[in-house]
Amino acid sequence: MVSIASDSALWHRLQFAFTATYHYLFPQLTMGLAPFLVLWKWRAWRSGSNAYAQAARFWTRIFGLTFAVGVVTGIPLEMQFGTNWAGFSRYAGGVVGQTLAMEGMFAFFLESALVGALIYGEQRLSRRAHFAVSIGVCVGSWLSGYFILVTNAFMQHPVGYALGSDGVLRLADLGAYLRNPWAWVEFAHNQAAALVSGAFVVAAVGAGYQLRSMHGEQARLYLRWGTTAGLVASLLVAFPTGDMQAKMVARHQEVALAAMEGRFESGTMAPITFIGQPNVVERRLDNPIALPGALSFLAYGTFHANVRGLGAFSEDQWPTGIEPLYYAFHVMAGLGTLFILLMGLAAIDSWRGRLTRHRLLLWALMLATPFPFIANTAGWMTAELGRQPWLIYGLFRTTDGISDVVSAGNTIFTLIGFCGLYFVLGLLYLYLVGREVLYGPSHAPHAPHAPHAPQAAGAGAP
Amino acid sequence: MTAAWYGILALMFAGFAVGEGWNFGAGALHLFVARTRAERRQVVAAIGPLWSWNEVWLIAAGGVLVMAFPRVFAAAMSGYYLAVFLLLWCLVLRGIALEVGGHLDDAMWQDFWNVIFAASSAALAVLFGAAFGNLLRGVPLDADGRMFLPLFDDLGRRGRVGILDWFTISVAVFTLVLLAAHGATGLARRTAGALEVRSARAAARLWIATVVLLPVVSIETAIVRPGFFTAITERPLGQLSFAVVVAGLGAVLAGTRRRAQTLAFVGSSAVILGLIAGAAASMYPVMLQSTIEGTPSITAENGAADVYALRVALGWWPVALALSVGYAAFVGWRYRGKVAAEPEGR
Repeated sequence: MVSIASDSALWHRLQFAFTATYHYLFPQLTMGLAPFLVLWKWRAWRSGSNAYAQAARFWTRIFGLTFAVGVVTGIPLEMQFGTNWAGFSRYAGGVVGQTLAMEGMFAFFLESALVGALIYGEQRLSRRAHFAVSIGVCVGSWLSGYFILVTNAFMQHPVGYALGSDGVLRLADLGAYLRNPWAWVEFAHNQAAALVSGAFVVAAVGAGYQLRSMHGEQARLYLRWGTTAGLVASLLVAFPTGDMQAKMVARHQEVALAAMEGRFESGTMAPITFIGQPNVVERRLDNPIALPGALSFLAYGTFHANVRGLGAFSEDQWPTGIEPLYYAFHVMAGLGTLFILLMGLAAIDSWRGRLTRHRLLLWALMLATPFPFIANTAGWMTAELGRQPWLIYGLFRTTDGISDVVSAGNTIFTLIGFCGLYFVLGLLYLYLVGREVLYGPSHAPHAPHAPHAPQAAGAGAP
Repeated sequence: MTAAWYGILALMFAGFAVGEGWNFGAGALHLFVARTRAERRQVVAAIGPLWSWNEVWLIAAGGVLVMAFPRVFAAAMSGYYLAVFLLLWCLVLRGIALEVGGHLDDAMWQDFWNVIFAASSAALAVLFGAAFGNLLRGVPLDADGRMFLPLFDDLGRRGRVGILDWFTISVAVFTLVLLAAHGATGLARRTAGALEVRSARAAARLWIATVVLLPVVSIETAIVRPGFFTAITERPLGQLSFAVVVAGLGAVLAGTRRRAQTLAFVGSSAVILGLIAGAAASMYPVMLQSTIEGTPSITAENGAADVYALRVALGWWPVALALSVGYAAFVGWRYRGKVAAEPEGR
């Protein structure tokens, strides 16, 4: 008897979803923190400010731990394109392989060579060289994001390819592939969202110190930079990048837009729903609280635009997970709106110099830490669930992409392995980062035996 | 065009085997040659600055494999499913052990991560050796160029083979010994004090073991893969690789005798480079050899991406390589020289 548990496509999808989601908790923070490090190191170098030097040093330690977990959880992802998605690799590897190879060659070499020098090299490098290293690491991490988003954009909106005579895709135009309009919008939206995560974490640590009356100058610095950057980034996530992304989905993935809004009927004056429960069997949205016309306007620029509902499409075109897609989109959009409100209030208080006395807001900032990570995850779920049932939109179905030689039993085995390994990694990360935060920025670097800090035999010999 | 990418891939895997191979060897050995916690930290510091750069050679080679030979990537990764994940988990554990093992000034913490570091390094040497053995022996491809290998079957080497059989296991053991020799040579070069002395002694013994095992594995290869050595003797690149291996062994011998540690390390790297280049030259154009009668192998021609993709990539790849070597030189220069042991209890 074959049960649902023997459906190998399900387990391939679950494993990739789990490993990719877990992995991306870390790079969003490193990409979000890297610009802070560059700017603080710049200020420290130019003005000789001790406070900025200390801030850069402290956050580099957090960055280093986050980076390490990001690296080790990232390696399995690339290989899973082959282990679990051999059908996809066979069909599209000749196209998406370009950016996967470029990511390794251009971004990973850059990051891996310089990150050690950034974390442990301050004593060994000149100030200028160390500043240059921080720029290199920042550029490397964002470049890596760009290559992956081009890869994803090809899956969302394929361009620059041709169908070969052997039935698989081939690259037709590298320039067109790299300049995929979807990729630029997605990259801008995603990087702004990563900055939100970075800014919220910086502000939260500042708020925590302030609430405990510790590290006064550093706490104020984190609050000032975290809230300002947090407000700017939160605004950028919504406008123009989120708006452009939504219009892109409306134009190229109309059925995904309908599912994201739980919209079954077509018509003008399409509403935006704030709350409601999609009932796919009955084809309606239960208990909706909605703003009429807003969706028509946001998607097409006029209230009278007809936004087609799911009913206008045949069911084999529908995303396979309408309910989770609907909730993922609403969690993302809802949290994104709250971020603007929270960071708006905090930034105004910060500019007026009274945020440090506003304990309620400080508490809110501190407790908000997990939410940008939830919003980023929900955003990626929206993108990936909205893409279903396609692996490459309109071209290639997800179920055709799996490794059909790998049985469900093998995939469950490795999924269990990942759950155990990543659980331990998570505990380790929280322990080590928590320790850094509790020690605080004034603590001397206490990783004296770091892998990147060899002593010269002449100078350091006993 | 396909030949160029076949060569580039072989070069990248060889770069990985030389660079990260010495780190694997050093890791596998360090519990034996480094006796105190300070000495063990010395090992980590010696490989530290560029360990992840060395590892990126593997990641980048994986990306290049998808780009240039998608059919090979798809067949190999899904076919070796379980072995690939064992390898990935070892890479995760090893990376974490290296990055956080020295993070706490605590004896128990460091002892724990030292053991993880040693065990995962040794396991990686064995797994990569077994993978190499599989490439030499061949795999059970079906008519569509797909396969799935169990970890082990009846340990036979014809027809429905598994990942582990007597041949791939002996290649794995040889790889472990070879990388340990390479690692010991590298440690002797990069460290000072008692660790240097012990590493040099270990290197001498391990190189003797390597030289003893190499003919054994070669004879096994000649049996398992008929025509392997004929191709090496007939092809200029095969002959050149053979010469590089011999010269490398000579350099190891001379370097060890005269305590010219850089010469020994260059020789050691040449041996590994020559072995991989020789195998690649001999097997070309076959990438995945079929062990099933009548089903075709996957080659650099029938496994490659379209020619346009290969051509444009040949435009950007050398630029990226030059940049990569530049970053590593920038960092490596600043961390050059020997690493001394720190006084205990500091």
